[in-house]
Amino acid sequence: MPEAPVDVLIIGAGASGAAIAWSLAETKMNILCLEQGDWVKSTDYPGIGADWELRQFGDFGLSPNGRGRSEDYPVNDDESPIQASMFNAVGGSTILYAGHFPRFHPSDFRVRALDGVADDWPIDYDLLAPYYEENERMMGVSGLAGDPAYPQPKKPPLPPLPLGKLGNTLAAGFNQLGWHWWPSDSAIASQPYEGRDGCINAGTCLVGCPQGAKASTDVTYWPLAIRQGVRIKTRCRVREITVGDNGLADGVVYFDEDGNEQKQKAEVVIVACNGIGTPRLLLNSKSKQFPDGLANRSGMVGKNLMFHPYGLVRGVFPERLEGYKGATGCVIMSQEFYETDPARDFVRGYSFEMLRGMGPVFTALSGMSTGDVDWGADHHRTYDEFFDRTAGMVVICEDLPEACNTVTLDPQRTDSNGMPAAKITYRLSDNSRKMLDHAIERAKEVLHAAGATRTTTEAPLQVAGWHLMGTARMGRDPETSVVNEWGRAHDVRNLFIVDGSVFVTSAAVNPTNTIQSLALYVADTMKKNLANLFD
Amino acid sequence: MTNQTLNDERLQLLASVLDLVIPPSPDGNKPGAGELGLANQLAAGMAGDAMMAAMIGAGLDKIEQLAGPDGFAALDPSQRQSLLEKANEEVPGLVPFLTFRVYTLYYQDNRVLEALGLAPRPPHPVGYEMEPFDESLLAPVRGRAKLYRTTERGE
Ligand SMILES: Cc1cc2nc3c(=O)[nH]c(=O)nc-3n(C[C@H](O)[C@H](O)[C@H](O)COP(=O)(O)OP(=O)(O)OC[C@H]3O[C@@H](n4cnc5c(N)ncnc54)[C@H](O)[C@@H]3O)c2cc1C
Ligand code: SF4
Repeated sequence: MPEAPVDVLIIGAGASGAAIAWSLAETKMNILCLEQGDWVKSTDYPGIGADWELRQFGDFGLSPNGRGRSEDYPVNDDESPIQASMFNAVGGSTILYAGHFPRFHPSDFRVRALDGVADDWPIDYDLLAPYYEENERMMGVSGLAGDPAYPQPKKPPLPPLPLGKLGNTLAAGFNQLGWHWWPSDSAIASQPYEGRDGCINAGTCLVGCPQGAKASTDVTYWPLAIRQGVRIKTRCRVREITVGDNGLADGVVYFDEDGNEQKQKAEVVIVACNGIGTPRLLLNSKSKQFPDGLANRSGMVGKNLMFHPYGLVRGVFPERLEGYKGATGCVIMSQEFYETDPARDFVRGYSFEMLRGMGPVFTALSGMSTGDVDWGADHHRTYDEFFDRTAGMVVICEDLPEACNTVTLDPQRTDSNGMPAAKITYRLSDNSRKMLDHAIERAKEVLHAAGATRTTTEAPLQVAGWHLMGTARMGRDPETSVVNEWGRAHDVRNLFIVDGSVFVTSAAVNPTNTIQSLALYVADTMKKNLANLFD
Repeated sequence: MTNQTLNDERLQLLASVLDLVIPPSPDGNKPGAGELGLANQLAAGMAGDAMMAAMIGAGLDKIEQLAGPDGFAALDPSQRQSLLEKANEEVPGLVPFLTFRVYTLYYQDNRVLEALGLAPRPPHPVGYEMEPFDESLLAPVRGRAKLYRTTERGE
């Protein structure tokens, strides 16, 4: 029997879907979220088993293409040097994320005004600042006030995570060069927080946190939203958002967990499927009124895909670093080269983030692939030169929007329900290439200053397509953008988009704090305008 | 013990080959991969993995053939290593395949973890102790002027 119409239907239970669900819950509207994935139980996580490192290549892999889970949809990334990475479950990609949780800089919202490239955002840092603060409190961010890279006040609610020997070694390298660094703002509870356990430094964050210390939204926003009456239906994949004769969205068609097609009517539809899932769904929602896909009169749905081009530089150190201890990606961040410097041959800038070392299995396999670890008589000597003696740094480059970088519907591949897969077409710009080159050289410099005897490099880092942005951009002009300054589709007045698709530019930091703060801001604006939401 | 997929003789041969891929460490701290019993684990895996069964089966056939009547066991370690390299030429992918499988099993084993100075257990649910963050390290950074650019509205 079809379910009664709901007031608000949210599609996607990841970072942004959870935040907006919680914020809207206080309205007591009838709110339903449809999510194609399932809940992940703490006993499902690899970190409690001996094979945890291997499962990063299996059912907890980064790419949806190789995991063998029916709730995933394929992403054809043959025409991209960077592979898409995401997770489909309650919590979305926050199940796998590292939890690095920086804010944008004020200048990130004024890219055209300051640097003459891309476009300015229709909102600014000051408008988002209270939502950043609220989101950091809700997610439980650990960090330290006083960072000169940010406007103050900015005071994370929890003390910073430990740096450990590895972090201290790298910090000394930065200090020697006189470069900026700061303990990472981390969406990981450094001590028990709001019913969640504190981090125990087990280092398996990228395959999920069985401890519940990492702020994936299944353990932060969702329990609170559900307590306030929001409902989630899992294993429900939305195929299409439907529109009525009045041009407004009137609900969705979805596949339930048995693969049966169902309809759900709604007054308001909110899309929170991430920078790939959202354009995929909109492009698949074709109708008489929207023959090129829903809310796509501008032609901007699926255009301007931005990743952050990443480079990975690893340093090999003479002494052991205890790099297996501590949150995997949350050590320290440096923004020494963040803002545009006219003396460089590129615009905009990048951040550095330190990584912990590799586990025992990864050390062997990565040494096997680089030829650094031998089999046979020399195995132990060559292995011991690497095990627990490497420290990694990633560089996160700002990606500028380009219309040629796209998400489209794949003409051949489909998911387990027969819905077209996503296809990404992406090239690295000249600006990104130059920025990466600059960043890699600086990363080597700091690793050597910290005591590394040699370094290895991978750039762009192929697996690092985990920040998905720009494919349904925000703007005031309906000719050049998909949603307005508070996330409402220009073409469909009861359709909202709240994930990373709405980003105008990408900044050079991890996006989730900004994605969720935007979702909270959209929710607040909706609440303030409830009486005339569709005007 | 005779395994479902390999008889005792073949299992022994596989163990000797694995001891060649990862021999015991010179200081005696870490066991060889064969000594650790990984041949049994691989043989058990062969039952449900046709690709693995074919690769290991073909590899052992080739090694037996190349070793001649005295057998692999009669060769000294450097002769064994050369023989395995030769077998790899004739059964392409044999050594990378064995190495990959052996590395993943070997470095999950508690005895090896202990020898590496790690706790013999998965990372969760116990985790690791760490010293809290030492703020004094930040002294040079705290002294710096602001690093972000101001925009038209306030900060
Ligand atoms: C390995 C990894 C590391 C990362 N590290 C960081 C980090 O350190 N810091 C950071 O800021 N970010 C990080 N990220 C990125 C971060 O996870 C994302 O930015 C964030 O989760 C995006 O939120 P979202 O709401 O846009 O989408 P998601 O969290 O991806 O959620 C989208 C949800 O929508 C669902 N969905 C999609 N299509 C449909 C459909 N048709 N029907 C029903 N449901 C659907 C999906 O199943 C999914 O659950 C990382 C990501 C990965 C994969
Ligand atoms: S290191 Fe901390 S956050 Fe990461 S998985 Fe372990 S307990 Fe969770």
